[in-house]
Amino acid sequence: MITFSGITKRYGAAAAVSDLSFTVDRGETLGLLGQNGAGKTTALNIMTGYLAPTAGTVTIGGHDLMAEPRQAKRLLGYLPEVPPLYDEMTVRAALRFSCELKLVVAADIPGHILEIADRTGLTDMLGRRVGNLSKGYRQRVGLAQALCGDPEVLVLDEPTSGLDPRQTAEFRQTLRQLAQGRTVVFSSHILSEVQALCSRVIILHHGRIVCDRSLRALQNAEGLRLRAEIQGDKKRLLPALRTLPGVRGVTALPDAAPGVVSVLLDCDQPPEKALFDLLCGLHMPLLRLQEAQSSLEEIFLRLTAEG
Amino acid sequence: MLAIYKREIQSYFFTASAYVFMGVFLALGSVFYAVGNLAAQSSDLLGLLWNMGYLWMLLTPILTMHTYAGERKSRTDQLLFTSPVSLTGIVAGKFLAGVTVLLGAVALSGVYVLVTALYGRVYPGEVLCGYLGFLLQGCAFLAIDQLISARCRAPVTAAVWSLGVNLALWLLDVLNSAVSLTLVNRILSALSLYMRAAPFQEGQLSLANILYFVAVIVLMQFFTVRTLDARRWSA
Repeated sequence: MITFSGITKRYGAAAAVSDLSFTVDRGETLGLLGQNGAGKTTALNIMTGYLAPTAGTVTIGGHDLMAEPRQAKRLLGYLPEVPPLYDEMTVRAALRFSCELKLVVAADIPGHILEIADRTGLTDMLGRRVGNLSKGYRQRVGLAQALCGDPEVLVLDEPTSGLDPRQTAEFRQTLRQLAQGRTVVFSSHILSEVQALCSRVIILHHGRIVCDRSLRALQNAEGLRLRAEIQGDKKRLLPALRTLPGVRGVTALPDAAPGVVSVLLDCDQPPEKALFDLLCGLHMPLLRLQEAQSSLEEIFLRLTAEG
Repeated sequence: MLAIYKREIQSYFFTASAYVFMGVFLALGSVFYAVGNLAAQSSDLLGLLWNMGYLWMLLTPILTMHTYAGERKSRTDQLLFTSPVSLTGIVAGKFLAGVTVLLGAVALSGVYVLVTALYGRVYPGEVLCGYLGFLLQGCAFLAIDQLISARCRAPVTAAVWSLGVNLALWLLDVLNSAVSLTLVNRILSALSLYMRAAPFQEGQLSLANILYFVAVIVLMQFFTVRTLDARRWSA
């Protein structure tokens, strides 16, 4: 649905993004991660045609954004980091304007506005002036504007930035519903948000892609990590665990309860059988054993530090 | 383009821009009319239009300061430039909206013609010719100032630059009268937005001067499109 081929954007000698190449399939939700200044917003601005790349091509639904901007942009809905809102307009007028920009047939606009307002929770706000709305509702109006014309691709730049926790939760819920049947690309530096909403992650660092994987593959690539809670003596247990075949590392965590040792086991292969045998021999009962995946935050910090 | 035009019109009238523009235009125009026509008991409307021509340089920055610079500052330009509307459509829509407000102000100044017609003699052809030049001159200033707005990041900066450029254009005339070099005089006269409007205010309908104003407007619109496009590459 979206193809980035060798996209580079330079400002003088400095490159904001360098040689970005990736595709986003129809129906996929892609999270663009990166520290401040990593090039996320530049990449999204190029994806939506707001900026032109110094080199490379972008296609949306098979249409080259530079050669066929009208066709490509009809497929796009964009919510920038600061929602582009005209404060003097009412919500209804703002949505009408967006519908007209997206070339929605005039007769369909009133019904379309009601539908979008319903989906974004703005039905009661249609008559209010945008300038009088709270930040949460302004964000919703921005999202509603992006939805005008029922675009196949939604591009969102840090959509929950500046919202309070309740607004963030509500907004994420709305996004989750809207993502059904759409291609969604959004940038964020809130890793839990990406983890909750995306099926795939691209991590940018200094304008370059340092990671492009599905979330599942990314976490699996970290190897098997188990968290175990064992009743027994820590001084006897830890050295014994380190002798287990297939266990690369043992990390002691704060004790779960008095007399209950909590450990992380980094394994090359599933160690359950050997673990049970060992603990039986030590007369230390296993109280809990569960898979502990590396958090995206850990992966992100490592990749951006290495980059 | 129609969507842009409608929104611009709404913007002019939902904010103070159009009202300030029309209010000051009519207030100053009325002073000219009171002094030049009522007090002098003169029905010379062409002289009034000539004097009112100087209002454009002072007032068009009010209309144009937000046109692009305001959009850029509030980042609403992202909505426009990521929509399927072409840059030409955006520029044309915004210009036509400005012209509409200009026409509204010019139409309101028709009250001077009505009052004069009640108490004196008005020559319709002559007045229409004067109004055509007056309007073309206003549209040229509007197009120049919109180009300046497209080059600025903040509305106040756009207004100050527009006023400065408008005054510089007026100073060309002052320079022209101060210099006595034939070639320089010819060039300055050819470029002057005031000298080009003068024949209209003498009742002369000149195709060359109409084409001159149309060319200035089209050229400024073209440069505005190029400026906005260049920003995508360099911003």
